[in-house]
Amino acid sequence: MTTCDLSVNIGGLELKNPVLTASGTFGYAKEFETIFDLNRLGGIIVKGLSLMPSKGNAPPRIVETSCGMLNAIGLENAGLDAFISDKLPFLKNLKTPVLANIYGTGIEAYAELAARLNDIEGISAIEVNISCPNVKEGGIAFGANASTAGKVTEAVRKNYQGPLIVKLSPNVTDITCIAKSVQDSGADAVSLINTITAMAVDIHTRRPKLANITGGLSGPAIKPVAVRMVWQTAQAINIPIIGVGGIMTAGDALEFIIAGASAVQVGTANFVNPLAAIEIIEGIEAYLAQQSLTSVRSLIGCLQV
Amino acid sequence: MIKQDNATIIWNRSLAGTVYSMGLTCSSAYQSAVPGQFVMVQTNKDLQPLLRRPFSISSIVGNQQLPKAIELLYKVVGKGTGRLSGLKPGQQLSLLGPLGKGFAIDPRRQTHYLAAGGIGVAPIRFLAQYMKSIGIDTSCIRVFIGGQSQDDLLCQADFEALGIRATITTDDGSAGDQCLITDPLAQAVQKHPPDMVYACGPRGMLACVAGIARQYNVACQVSIETMMACGIGACLGCAVQLSQEGQSYLHACLDGPVFDAKLLAL
Ligand SMILES: Cc1cc2nc3c(=O)[nH]c(=O)nc-3n(C[C@H](O)[C@H](O)[C@H](O)COP(=O)(O)OP(=O)(O)OC[C@H]3O[C@@H](n4cnc5c(N)ncnc54)[C@H](O)[C@@H]3O)c2cc1C
Ligand SMILES: Cc1cc2nc3c(=O)[nH]c(=O)nc-3n(C[C@H](O)[C@H](O)[C@H](O)COP(=O)(O)O)c2cc1C
Ligand code: FES
Repeated sequence: MTTCDLSVNIGGLELKNPVLTASGTFGYAKEFETIFDLNRLGGIIVKGLSLMPSKGNAPPRIVETSCGMLNAIGLENAGLDAFISDKLPFLKNLKTPVLANIYGTGIEAYAELAARLNDIEGISAIEVNISCPNVKEGGIAFGANASTAGKVTEAVRKNYQGPLIVKLSPNVTDITCIAKSVQDSGADAVSLINTITAMAVDIHTRRPKLANITGGLSGPAIKPVAVRMVWQTAQAINIPIIGVGGIMTAGDALEFIIAGASAVQVGTANFVNPLAAIEIIEGIEAYLAQQSLTSVRSLIGCLQV
Repeated sequence: MIKQDNATIIWNRSLAGTVYSMGLTCSSAYQSAVPGQFVMVQTNKDLQPLLRRPFSISSIVGNQQLPKAIELLYKVVGKGTGRLSGLKPGQQLSLLGPLGKGFAIDPRRQTHYLAAGGIGVAPIRFLAQYMKSIGIDTSCIRVFIGGQSQDDLLCQADFEALGIRATITTDDGSAGDQCLITDPLAQAVQKHPPDMVYACGPRGMLACVAGIARQYNVACQVSIETMMACGIGACLGCAVQLSQEGQSYLHACLDGPVFDAKLLAL
């Protein structure tokens, strides 16, 4: 077999292959250590990180739905200091880029996280989750409008020199407006989509199935929505896009790449098949060989319409 | 060490009613498996249902150094378990395990009471076998098995074969006394307090067992169920509410599924 070039560059971040693991679905990578060689991954995005520890939502936090699942974890994490002392030493020793996914309840919190991550070793890039509620603005998500999304991006950009990825929420009227705004505010790349706000009802108890009432839908059910948004966004901006949403197989990943994504993230699939990301890398390689393509880059955005 | 294996089904048969026993080949990773630990099973490669399903290890076939197979006991309650019940020996299933923290067993303790409600007997049976294998005198162990009806009373003969005295109850009186299993347990704990109570079963039963243990000041470990997506600490979906307000949550797949009953808000 000829060796294909799987490498891609995401706003300055060199990846040996275009497959990353999505935030919140891969823990801090150590959870998967005995299952496969983590260094084969294109990159690892760790669980959403806040300045202070966050307890998360009350259980039940997850429920299965047709071809998907809802989660309302509530961004549980031990906070930046605990991350640096307990998780980072292991991550530093990996030979694959580790990306920190950050969130805050105010713009200042985003800015401070960015400043602190700028100074530590072992984090190759940051991904900014703007899908969380803005406490000062009545709990409306930062990512819900172009102006606040831009402000968060600007604040992070000021304090962070490395590759800056902004993760977009699908719960908006026009995702391309948000994408343009974060591009203009200094983002090096965008990733999309985060989960779709959804809910499920237990008809026996007549109560919501999640303690938080609503949650985020992920898994195969959201893939067509995500592919559509990646394609539309690819028409609107000129920074790289990382596609996320319901990717279970190499075929799914290729759909995103053809539609305009330069890389992909594997999320819910890690729960179903912990080897999913590895099988997707192998599958993309096999597809390139079979199509006699030498580089995955030639596929990015090659959709013919 | 956690491994994903493609396990081959050795047997899969109905024990009683909708309860099945399944034997699966396993790797040497299960050398270290202890009672209370579980596996995540992919019930259908076609992703219907999408998520894996958690099942307790109910026994290890072969010896601890050379595990040949693991046995699961499962009750058909929905899509995933329904699909499992239709599988045949020779077919393969993806198995992720062994997972979680099992029962803490101190061989120096004198007497042990085991309590099982319905399909909750699965980890309790492995516990009994394991206790015997590490040299605990089985005459110092008692088991209390409760079910809705006779069909739910599982493994009684297995416990008796190990030399363990079994007390049974059913909700409908079709076998044993017609009462809750916690009734004879409470009496026994009062009369002869054990050093440890180990329990697995429905939430209501566990709450009652924990109450009995608290009342008579006896240590108690319970194995609980929560919704789980990953089983390995990656999703944080399996949060467990603790008895003390304001504390952060524990996670059933990492910190449990076996917990000191005092810690939990049952
Ligand atoms: C650590 C752990 C160990 C377990 N060990 C065993 C075991 O040894 N044997 C066994 O039969 N079962 C065990 N269970 C429960 C088992 O995982 C569920 O019964 C199974 O996931 C149901 O899948 P299903 O697709 O058949 O049902 P679904 O179609 O998903 O659901 C059918 C019904 O079952 C109920 N249900 C679904 N999941 C659970 C759950 N996790 N806990 C309680 N009720 C649920 C739901 O209320 C639903 O109404 C264990 C659960 C955990 C967390
Ligand atoms: C259990 C769970 C936890 C998640 N936690 C985070 C998080 O902390 N930060 C974040 O930006 N996205 C989080 N996500 C969203 C995923 O990273 C991803 O965008 C989404 O699940 C869609 O991809 P998928 O369908 O492949 O899972 C989480 C998703 C799930 C299912
Ligand atoms: S089930 Fe995923 S963290 Fe426990």
